[in-house]
Amino acid sequence: MEVSPENEKRVRTRRSRVISRKIDRFFLALYDIFSFNVRFFKEVFLPPYEGKEIIRQCYEIGVRSLPLISLTGFIIGIVFMNQSRPSLAEFGATSWLPSLVSLAIVRALAPLVTALIGAGRIGSMIGAELGSMKVTEQIDAMEVSATNPFKFLVVSRVLATTFMIPALMMYTMLVALLGAYLNVSANEGTSFVTYFTQVFDAITFLDIFSSVIKSTLFGYTIGMVGCYKGYNSSKGTEGVGKAANSSVVTAMFLVFIEELLSLQVITALR
Amino acid sequence: MSAEENRRSVVVGIFVLLAILILVAGIFVLGGQQKRFAETIEVSALFEDVTGLKKGNHVIYSGVRVGVVNSIKLVENSKIAVTMSIEESARRFIHNDAFAKVGSESLIGNKTVVVYGGTETAPAIEDGAILRTEEQLSTEEMMQTLQENNKNLQAITNDVKQLSSSLVKGEGLAGALLTDERLANNFRTIVANLERTSASSVRASQALTRFTNKLNTEGGLADELLTDTVVYNRLKRTAAELEQTMATASALTAKINNTASKLNTTDNALGVLLNDEQFATDLQLTMQNLEAGTDKLDANMESLQHSILLNGFFRRKARREARQKEREKEKQERLLKLEEKKNLKKGIQPSTVPPTADTVTVIKPIKID
Repeated sequence: MEVSPENEKRVRTRRSRVISRKIDRFFLALYDIFSFNVRFFKEVFLPPYEGKEIIRQCYEIGVRSLPLISLTGFIIGIVFMNQSRPSLAEFGATSWLPSLVSLAIVRALAPLVTALIGAGRIGSMIGAELGSMKVTEQIDAMEVSATNPFKFLVVSRVLATTFMIPALMMYTMLVALLGAYLNVSANEGTSFVTYFTQVFDAITFLDIFSSVIKSTLFGYTIGMVGCYKGYNSSKGTEGVGKAANSSVVTAMFLVFIEELLSLQVITALR
Repeated sequence: MSAEENRRSVVVGIFVLLAILILVAGIFVLGGQQKRFAETIEVSALFEDVTGLKKGNHVIYSGVRVGVVNSIKLVENSKIAVTMSIEESARRFIHNDAFAKVGSESLIGNKTVVVYGGTETAPAIEDGAILRTEEQLSTEEMMQTLQENNKNLQAITNDVKQLSSSLVKGEGLAGALLTDERLANNFRTIVANLERTSASSVRASQALTRFTNKLNTEGGLADELLTDTVVYNRLKRTAAELEQTMATASALTAKINNTASKLNTTDNALGVLLNDEQFATDLQLTMQNLEAGTDKLDANMESLQHSILLNGFFRRKARREARQKEREKEKQERLLKLEEKKNLKKGIQPSTVPPTADTVTVIKPIKID
């Protein structure tokens, strides 16, 4: 786990160690992560607001990810429908395919796929960008020039991912359902209206809202992990690659953990 | 704000707006389909078992979805209160004496609350109404029944097992039938006999068929008897006449009997004639006397003819008789001639055969006084 440079110095000096170097590093890293999050929430509400930068990040993160996310969602819809067919056909229940696939897409696939693609594309982008800025001491330069680098770099990016991932998820959901419709229409000859009636028959408000909330959480995680990793990257060009790589892996891992936890919460609510 | 920044802002705005539109559209479609935004009334029902039913399940009336299950709560007496939202538009069709039961969308589908029944005259349900319920057969109860059936089946199979082992051992009549060769042979003989009998019966029935066919032949006696009403009526009439004749005959017989019995008595002339021996002797004597009397009279008459007083009378009588014979002879000859003339006119050769008594019209002799 990466630790901030100040804490790294603390761990290195023998006198300030509490337990051991590794254990101290772990807890210090946790503290860093916690304080990073707390700082984010502080900075969000404090002026000045970096509106332009937020819009720019939204464009970079949201709009430019749309083609990739849409294509992935479309393919996911077709593939999932095709793969589910044999198991339902065994019971002669292929008419239930729209219900089954819509449940899968709305409840799990759309948020998860969006988050994973987002983690891959956006997480690495943020990690590498901030990492290289850190390495080339641009962040330090910002601090010197009386610009709040945290607000400008971190808050804008985290806010952008937090808002854009749910938006992207909505697109993914629609495109995946359309992809599934194309498949089901080609195979079962189901009409558009019948298909969407069955789709909305299966899902509930809770499914949609939980997906939106989940995506918001995933977006926040992706942005936060990318920013944290980039912001705390070690010096040197190696640190940039490490930050990018680490942000993707950590973000994906955390997305799955969050998915599992949110499943428990939603099941309790249902 | 530069042009590039402006463009980005607009694109991001459109992007976010579209995402929000998708969400809103989804919510509205879902809400419309689940009828969340329709005006509803709340009714409830107390069930004893709602296995599988959950919040959000549909409420069905006559196969149409009219609402959703709002809540499922345990209440006292181990009853479960199920609260349902029913659309205002469907309210007037559901009467307050309707029943509710837990049903199923399909064999393995979601559970539903099925509202059914209710009389048309009863008022429509109101908000807060409590519907009467009818418990459905649960899966556990079905399984219990099935278990009982299983036990019965086991008992039956055991019996069948015993039966089959007895059969194999040749116990009882059925067993003997299966295992005893002698019995089997007897049985075969019986079957063969039966076969022969059936063959003869077939022949008999064929003969009977032929016979009945003959009877049915149109114009035959039997057919006439059976079908022709004229013949029947005639027969009926004949029988009636026969009966009448019989009655007359019996009356006649009675009279003859009467007469015969009278003949046997001696209180009448014929009876006396037939039965009285004394009278017969007297009659014989009388007859003898009469014979003697006629002989004497004959002699008297002979002597009278030769007497002078009556001589002329007898001679005249003899002449008159001779003249009459002559006249008859002449008449016969004239008739013959007339006949011959008639035949010649018709072109018939005069027969060589002398007229016989058949050909000659016998003319009665004219009495000449």
